[in-house]
Amino acid sequence: MYEIVIDRSLCSGFGACAELAPEIFDVDDAGLVSIRVGQSEDPSVLDAASACPMAAITVHERQAA
Amino acid sequence: MKTDPTFWLLARASGMTAYVLLTASILAGLVLKSRPFGRALKVSSVTDVHRFLSLLGLGMLALHGVSLMLDQTVKMPLAGLFVPGASPYRPTSVSLGVLTAELMALIVVSFSIRKRIGVRNWRRLHWATYAVFVMGTLHGLLAGTDSSQPWAKALYLGAVGAVVFATSWRALTRPTRPATAARRPAPAPTTTPVPERSA
Repeated sequence: MYEIVIDRSLCSGFGACAELAPEIFDVDDAGLVSIRVGQSEDPSVLDAASACPMAAITVHERQAA
Repeated sequence: MKTDPTFWLLARASGMTAYVLLTASILAGLVLKSRPFGRALKVSSVTDVHRFLSLLGLGMLALHGVSLMLDQTVKMPLAGLFVPGASPYRPTSVSLGVLTAELMALIVVSFSIRKRIGVRNWRRLHWATYAVFVMGTLHGLLAGTDSSQPWAKALYLGAVGAVVFATSWRALTRPTRPATAARRPAPAPTTTPVPERSA
């Protein structure tokens, strides 16, 4: 299970995360990224986090209960 | 005795190639943000191309420096490659080249340590790419042996024109929103949203 945290103060709206994991990340009308869900088992969140030029996405891996 | 021109030719070719790669990398960086091709290009792919071109350009700069040192035409000392003003050959214009290479290396390396130095500091430093481009252009024009050739003039003019055009586009147009699942129904709330940090 991956826990996703976005630092919106860093987000510049490149949108790489929304391209790589559209079910998890969204770009709002202000051009900033928001998360549709805060946790996911989809490993594409890791690709999205590493693709962010602004390093605005942090993913914590949690052991499922 | 006739001097072997291999390293002299290599130095000129690698310098010109590094300039082309620097220009291409800047254009890729500007495309990344302004998205003139809409959704036809993936952000992650353009990012990879941008970084790859930067690294390749840096490698070509290293080859440029090593070739100049090994060549016997200008007799460049090692210090002349790293210390501005230490070159006996065209010291002012070569100094511009030294500063260009050092600042470019700093900018390329800073991406990998952007979390450590702070992303905002990294972003500010990234703006110095324009200084790299201006200094690199002046270095090429003033120190380059081939600068008076029509093809070289066309190359410099094309590079400057392309960067000015792409920068203007970036400044004046609103970027296309990336493709998202935003308009699709939200998934079932089986997970707990995590609060986002804000400034």
